[in-house]
Amino acid sequence: MFSYILRKILYAVPVVWGVVTVVFILMAIVPGDPARLMMGQRGDPATLARIRADLGLDLPLHQQYFRFVGDLVRGDLGTSYRNNEKVTSALVDRFGATLRLAFWAMVVAAVIGVAAGILSAVRQYSLFDYSAMFIAISGVSAPVFWVGLLLLLIFAYGFHLIPGVGYGDGDWRYLVLPVVTLGVRPAALIARLTRSCMLEVMSQDYIRTARAKGLAEKVVVLKHAFKNALIPVVTIIGTQVAELLSGAVLTETIFAWPGVGRLAVEALVARDFPMIRGTVIFMAVIFLVANLIVDLSYGIIDPRIRYD
Amino acid sequence: MRKALRVCCLLLAGLLLILTVSAAMAEEPVYGGILRWREINDPPKLDPAIATDTVSSRNIYLMFDMLVDNDPDGKGIIPRLAESWEGSDGGKVWTFHLRKGVHFHKENLGQPTENGGREVKAADWKYSMERLVKVNSPRAYFIDMVKGYQDFVDGKTADWVGIKAVDDYTLRFELDYPFAPFLSVLAYNSFMVVPREDAEKWGKDFNFHPVGTGAFILERWDHDQKTVYKRNPDYWKRDAQGRQLPYLDGVEIFVIPDNTIAYEEFKKGNIDAFPDFPDEFYLEAKVRFGDLLQERPWLGTYYYGFNTSKPPFKDNKTLRQAMNYAVDRKRINDLVLEGRYYPGRGVLPPGMPGYNPDLKGYEYNPELAKKMMADAGYPDGIEVELNVNNNPRHKAVAEAIQAQLAELGIKLNVKVLDWGVHLDLCERAETEMFRMGWVVDYADPDNFLYVLLHSSNFGAKGNYAYYKNEKADELMAAARVETDFDKRVELYREAERIIVDDAPWIFLFHYTTSLLGQERVKNLRLPAFGDYTTPLEAVWIAK
Repeated sequence: MFSYILRKILYAVPVVWGVVTVVFILMAIVPGDPARLMMGQRGDPATLARIRADLGLDLPLHQQYFRFVGDLVRGDLGTSYRNNEKVTSALVDRFGATLRLAFWAMVVAAVIGVAAGILSAVRQYSLFDYSAMFIAISGVSAPVFWVGLLLLLIFAYGFHLIPGVGYGDGDWRYLVLPVVTLGVRPAALIARLTRSCMLEVMSQDYIRTARAKGLAEKVVVLKHAFKNALIPVVTIIGTQVAELLSGAVLTETIFAWPGVGRLAVEALVARDFPMIRGTVIFMAVIFLVANLIVDLSYGIIDPRIRYD
Repeated sequence: MRKALRVCCLLLAGLLLILTVSAAMAEEPVYGGILRWREINDPPKLDPAIATDTVSSRNIYLMFDMLVDNDPDGKGIIPRLAESWEGSDGGKVWTFHLRKGVHFHKENLGQPTENGGREVKAADWKYSMERLVKVNSPRAYFIDMVKGYQDFVDGKTADWVGIKAVDDYTLRFELDYPFAPFLSVLAYNSFMVVPREDAEKWGKDFNFHPVGTGAFILERWDHDQKTVYKRNPDYWKRDAQGRQLPYLDGVEIFVIPDNTIAYEEFKKGNIDAFPDFPDEFYLEAKVRFGDLLQERPWLGTYYYGFNTSKPPFKDNKTLRQAMNYAVDRKRINDLVLEGRYYPGRGVLPPGMPGYNPDLKGYEYNPELAKKMMADAGYPDGIEVELNVNNNPRHKAVAEAIQAQLAELGIKLNVKVLDWGVHLDLCERAETEMFRMGWVVDYADPDNFLYVLLHSSNFGAKGNYAYYKNEKADELMAAARVETDFDKRVELYREAERIIVDDAPWIFLFHYTTSLLGQERVKNLRLPAFGDYTTPLEAVWIAK
């Protein structure tokens, strides 16, 4: 398994390099000069030239690229053009909030999604099944900003059950609504996938055999069926975790949550190249790590899978 | 009978006196409380030398002071850290007499500062001005007329020779030429005093450890959440009764990106001040909050520029004038902007020195517009592209104008662009028409007319229309160096008349600025310079 992990990490290097290069090229060809944006609507050309030189934007493109890759190899993602903040410390600072939100959203989504999916499959075509799948379809279709606003208007501003927006210095009550908002879509996806996987597995011969052996239905469902239906579910959970960890722009915006998503969007608007590159590299790494963990979990779920 | 009447009158007078006294006592400022102010995004910069946006400025005004300030009602320049000043040598020398007993912050982010809370001296001002150049301030060039600027920028001199600390409390600027708006420029929020010890200790990171002389001290900066300020107990300013300011214990500036949520938070009482109040809730808030929603003309102009360096607008004044006549500004303002702006007649906004209330401008006249279109060589209309930066308000205005112009056969293709791309294209004159707005940096007609329409400022320097008229150029240049205020005003008015006649823009609207405050927040007064400049040192919260 160790050599498998090592191999995966080595494969990741060209992927990250590819991402970095594509982002660098895109930033170079997109119109909009970051130095110009720093100056505001008008600026003196001489000052503009000095700011561009200060930021290294006056160098030929290939030199800018090699300088950037060199810094990256040394672990330096650069300094934000927008506010002089070190990109690494900005990411670390915002990732805490994103991680907290994503973790709880995923816990809620996984628990509700898996439970609803299993029950729907077991009670196929029942009222519960129809209701759960109706809610799941609504959950997948409902725009996040709409869900977020609705929850806020009802629970925070209507019934005053929960505080409004913000991080609340870590107070858990501020976490409830963003977690629910962010968790709705993954929960719906997980529920639908779990249901379909369970239905497929439960029509297999070995399930009939298990039942014929006289095993309790609970054991049949959870031990024989669910375990075999788990691999696609884990895959989608992995992808969703990676997506949530990369920052949920809309949820973070509505709830004024200080996460990576907002950092990335503000960087894009300001043409803050170092911060844009930093957030993209960060997202790429998150996806690679999440995929690696998902791959490794296959072996735990299904011992027939080997990492040769 | 007469005696009874006299007694009644006396009793009534006594009652009135008691009521007046108790009302006055009820309005007596009280110390304490935290004011929660809403902003739309995290301030990018807290170092006045490098900040250029209004959110940063809101924060900076709490912590720093300039030499002079703008009068809250736009009636000239008032003292701040300079108690008085005088100009000499035909406006080429400006001498400022500094206020004594002004101290830098003793602490910052809960730690003692390097300066230790020492008094501000003239040498600090010289250092602060020179620092602008050293840190490549985007605004240092505003005072490039101060003698020795270029040599200091080029590193030919060790100091900026045009700035002299005559003694501890006297500061002198020597200019290369008389520059009439100089005082107004110094009221801009880049020209603030910082302590050398702290600025040098932190270098570029001074942005995260800002130390000034202002009413509030930075206590915490939670990025994308809030900036937290506490009261500066050594602040130099006192109220009319000699009481120490500020009254508030602190200010918290909350970042709430979404307008709907911000408004709900305000209604819930979670925020006390909501600046730049959005259109979508304007009518509701006016009814619900009445006078608590303050609004007043802002020194800004909203316009559509024509690219006068390329066809079809190059050398076709009649076409440009026709399009000015074709737009019903009042109707668009009423229908799209909830009547919040002022229809524009020229370049200068109301309230700006030199504003000409008698300027005729372009009244909506579709018949005349149609005739002029034919005279301009477009009897069947014309198809032009309008670039607009991405913003719901700008998009709505563009669509309304598109519909009005369509009635005259003018097909306006609206292209909505990201701000960075929009600026880039305007700068390179790769547009036919473009939306732009301008809000003053300093309250002087120079900041509108010379900056936006003088031919020496083509492109990034402000003249995106690439407009040139030699006569107007001469008048604007003459006005810059004219020290007699009345003569200056006349020069600017003449220049503006020529410009309006040449129609390099569609002169659309003049902005307003707005601020919604809670009833318990007292003395919250919206200044003419915009919501972000609202002074908070005399604000107090009723218990």
